[in-house]
Amino acid sequence: MRCASARRRLSDWIDGELAPAASGELAAHVDGCPACSRIAAQLREVSRLVADLPRAEAADPVAPAVLTGLEVETRGPGLGFLFRRFGAARPFMVPSLFPAALVLVTVLAAALAIGSGGGPQSGRIAGAWGVVAASGTESNPLFPSAEIGLPHEQDGGRLAADALLAGPSEGALFLETVVARDGTVADVTVLHGDAAEDGPLLEALRRQIYEPARFQGRPVAVSVYRLISRHEVLATGVIAGS
Amino acid sequence: MGAGEIPLEAGQAVTRATEGVLVDRCRRGDPEAFARLVALHEGMVFNLAARLLGNPEEARDVTQDVFIQVYRRLGQFEGRASLRTWIYRVTVNQAHNHRRWWTRRRRDREQSLDDLAKGRGAARLADERPWASPFEQARRGERARRVQEGLLELGFHHRTVLVLREVEGLSCEEIASLLGIAEGTVKSRLARAREALRRRLFDLVEEGDGR
Repeated sequence: MRCASARRRLSDWIDGELAPAASGELAAHVDGCPACSRIAAQLREVSRLVADLPRAEAADPVAPAVLTGLEVETRGPGLGFLFRRFGAARPFMVPSLFPAALVLVTVLAAALAIGSGGGPQSGRIAGAWGVVAASGTESNPLFPSAEIGLPHEQDGGRLAADALLAGPSEGALFLETVVARDGTVADVTVLHGDAAEDGPLLEALRRQIYEPARFQGRPVAVSVYRLISRHEVLATGVIAGS
Repeated sequence: MGAGEIPLEAGQAVTRATEGVLVDRCRRGDPEAFARLVALHEGMVFNLAARLLGNPEEARDVTQDVFIQVYRRLGQFEGRASLRTWIYRVTVNQAHNHRRWWTRRRRDREQSLDDLAKGRGAARLADERPWASPFEQARRGERARRVQEGLLELGFHHRTVLVLREVEGLSCEEIASLLGIAEGTVKSRLARAREALRRRLFDLVEEGDGR
């Protein structure tokens, strides 16, 4: 028998849990192996030391405290009755939930206060006509004003200008562009005019990127209105020749 | 002893029949019977909790919780195991729950170990030997402290098996039944717990394979 195999069985051997044959074989090994013999002796000593621990008793009898606790508990269905099943196994859990709940409520209240503090709403609100989108969002954009500046095209409007020049030479268009809070174009609507041949222009307007408008430091969605009026201008010589 | 009589003092021999009488009277809401049941078992519960938790104050809390649980669940006690075994199980569960709660909070462990080793605070030692010399008492106290410290270094499940085996003197079969685990698992945990404690107490380095 090798030492590693013997040592795995020493605990069972000490407890007399091995079969006689296995026990005899192990005993023979331990007798002839100083290292295993020393470990066996130390394991026996460990058992003895634990078993010899002085028996601890409560300094005061526990029974009165238990009976008082039960008397309070069985006096009537108070608040403790509500928590009895839940808190029975973890008596300290329920008290510790109160600070946690307090922190949660405080955080939620602070979040709500920040969300509702003046200015545009970030959620949806219920009004007299049902649920409407909060102002300053893409579904309910604001109008530029003294407090809300115009959004600025990041390319200076060059893309749209090129598309405009490539379009028809005559006609007027009245357009509404909704610039979203992230600076992209949420929607382009033709409010007046014939835009049948202005597909590239509308597409260019929809792909524009803006520096978003801001209200009280927060980006908001705004509607931008444009009147595009195109006239063909002919040189004087051409008129004279026609 | 008649059918209606119950053991009066802690440590008095309790037969299965007297235990049944005691349980029946507790179930009928007899406070005197329950007080006797507590008195009979509180020493065992406190000692087990103290050894599992290493703190007399916690052991006292757990002991109270154990008997409140026993009172509530006495209706579920079927009598297949002895009442003592059933209370062991409740104690281990309560200590385990309490330990999980307590480990999230800091506590002066050194002070607790001293209190437990020297029988101060919420604990006293049942087998103190007043006739022993101060030197002998100090030596015993220090040894108990080291052993308890070593026990607390073990994982809870290993510590539980070792304490039930060595301190309470239960067999591996009884421990397996009590904890609801296989007997082989008990033996395996016992072997690992002893080996870990041996290494700690005897301050050994890993020994090579002798042969």
